[in-house]
Amino acid sequence: MKNTASTIKWILLGVGGLVLLAYPLVAPNRYTVHIVNMAGIWILMSLGLNLAMGYCGQINLALGAFWGVGAYTAALLSTRFGVPIWINMPLGMLLAGITGALIALPMLKVRSHYLALVTIGLAETINIIMVNEIWLTEGPLGISGIPMPNLFGIPIDGAERFYYIVLVCVVVGFLVARQIVSHRIGRSFIAIRDDDTAAKAMGVNVAYYQVLANAICGVYCGVAGVLYAHMSTYISPDIFEFKNALFVLTMTMVGGMGSLAGSVVGGLALPLAQEWLRAIKSWQLVGFGLAIMIVVLFMPGGVVGLTQKIEQAGGIRLPWARKPAAEPSRMEEPNVS
Amino acid sequence: MNIVSIFIQTLVGGIGIGSLYALVALGYSMIYRSMGLVNFAHGSIYMIGTYFGIIWYRGMVMGLQVPYPIAFVMGILLTAILGLILERIFRPLAHLDLMLMLLGTIGLGYVLDNLAVIIWGAEGFAVNSPLPNEPIVIGGVALLPQMLLLITVSALLMVGLNVFLAKSKMGKAMRAAAQDRETASAMGIPVNTTNALVFAIGAGLAAAAGILAAPIVYVNPAMSAAVGLKGFAAFILGGAGSIPGAIVGGLVFGVLEAISAGFISSAYTKGIAFVVMIVVLMIKPAGIVGEVTVDKV
Repeated sequence: MKNTASTIKWILLGVGGLVLLAYPLVAPNRYTVHIVNMAGIWILMSLGLNLAMGYCGQINLALGAFWGVGAYTAALLSTRFGVPIWINMPLGMLLAGITGALIALPMLKVRSHYLALVTIGLAETINIIMVNEIWLTEGPLGISGIPMPNLFGIPIDGAERFYYIVLVCVVVGFLVARQIVSHRIGRSFIAIRDDDTAAKAMGVNVAYYQVLANAICGVYCGVAGVLYAHMSTYISPDIFEFKNALFVLTMTMVGGMGSLAGSVVGGLALPLAQEWLRAIKSWQLVGFGLAIMIVVLFMPGGVVGLTQKIEQAGGIRLPWARKPAAEPSRMEEPNVS
Repeated sequence: MNIVSIFIQTLVGGIGIGSLYALVALGYSMIYRSMGLVNFAHGSIYMIGTYFGIIWYRGMVMGLQVPYPIAFVMGILLTAILGLILERIFRPLAHLDLMLMLLGTIGLGYVLDNLAVIIWGAEGFAVNSPLPNEPIVIGGVALLPQMLLLITVSALLMVGLNVFLAKSKMGKAMRAAAQDRETASAMGIPVNTTNALVFAIGAGLAAAAGILAAPIVYVNPAMSAAVGLKGFAAFILGGAGSIPGAIVGGLVFGVLEAISAGFISSAYTKGIAFVVMIVVLMIKPAGIVGEVTVDKV
């Protein structure tokens, strides 16, 4: 039984890998490749959010800020100094990671919905800086003419070629996230999420790991930002507004909070669903909102949680089964005097 | 015009916008207090409420143009009815984890916002003030009549709400249900009904704020986001679940915004207000007035 399961797993991985590698060659047109590239960028952010929120329990709605820091780093360095992507990437990661760590500082003090607000407030403030510091960011007009990358003399000048850069980043990002989760860091995250007082009593340095979780989230969003800047060749502050942070939150929850596979599923499903729904114009977002409600009310564990339920009900183990995540912490019933 | 009159004028403007935030924050606070629900769709309810009043005032329903006070009342009543319906949809969300609650209410907000776009269009419009547009000048301070109306009516509504909660039988039942659900329902208080009414009142207050502010601001479906966020900030800043907290939080936020716009930098208005709010929360994590419940999560 175990052997069959692992054989199926390897076959699935092999087929999946081939499909991923061949995708741009068989895709119907460049636009569909672009959508998938964009999905890759969303997946990276969703992975970061999942590590901070799904594993470490840190409510963080400041993703737009991290993403923006990464994107602006790449945009400014490449347009003003002609710095190539492979130098922008580590710098963007570093700066976005530092932003993540800084945003984590209030988290040591405030909690739950207060924290949600503080992170929104900080993200809004960074967005306002992007709009107003025109000398640096060109203001609301945004920065255009960001060069597409050139790797080892090969110009990456179209969505099809850029696809492979995104693919490498997503695969590496996913594997690193998996390492983090199975490492002591990941176990400390989960301990903090489940009960930070108990974790502290067990000798876990809670503050350190909270800052670390958000810094890691920042790094993932930084990668997404650098990729985005070089892919779209144009950025402006409105892209990094709160609504896109919410989009990432939604895809993470639809996929499954506390599951890395969930981030991939959600990060692919939502942008694609959005494209399919584009045909019905204004009703698109109504449908989007209804879909969110349905997920929240009927499958709170997300798509991954649903497969887990199927496994439990049927007593089977699906090849892509994951370790069960603990219940998310509940908010206390308000008891008003 | 000297610095004092400029300051007073800024202050009055801040109190006006602050009353708008306070009325919206009251909705957040009452719903949180009674249902334990952090309702991120409240900004959308405020926006829909504004439309529900203004469509009558502007004659957008079968060309039927009604006077402003009647449109005001009709808007509040319609939004309160919508609140009753929404409470039924939100009820299961109140027992979920904070993140699910957040996402579920945001999902419903999306639905409301985009229904508004489908029904009334995305462009929006300016609304004529029912009062004269010339500012009243008192000792060098120029005040818009509509702003004074907003402040006065908001103050009346807030006092009325407090009296209603303190004195009326229904208000007492609401407070009892908010305080202890189980005991209240054992004592024969229909908790779900009181929650529905609280939701309706919250929605009605948001509509009142929107209809009063409509001639000053620009009415469009996107207005839900900005005011929703600031109302939420006011709700948190004052102390979640506290009624005086919501009022204080709203006024403080409005005045902060006006002062930073007038005296520091108009570009950084929103940012300065948020930074001050974050600093306040760092010093007093339970808000200015203090949260009614101690959050142990």
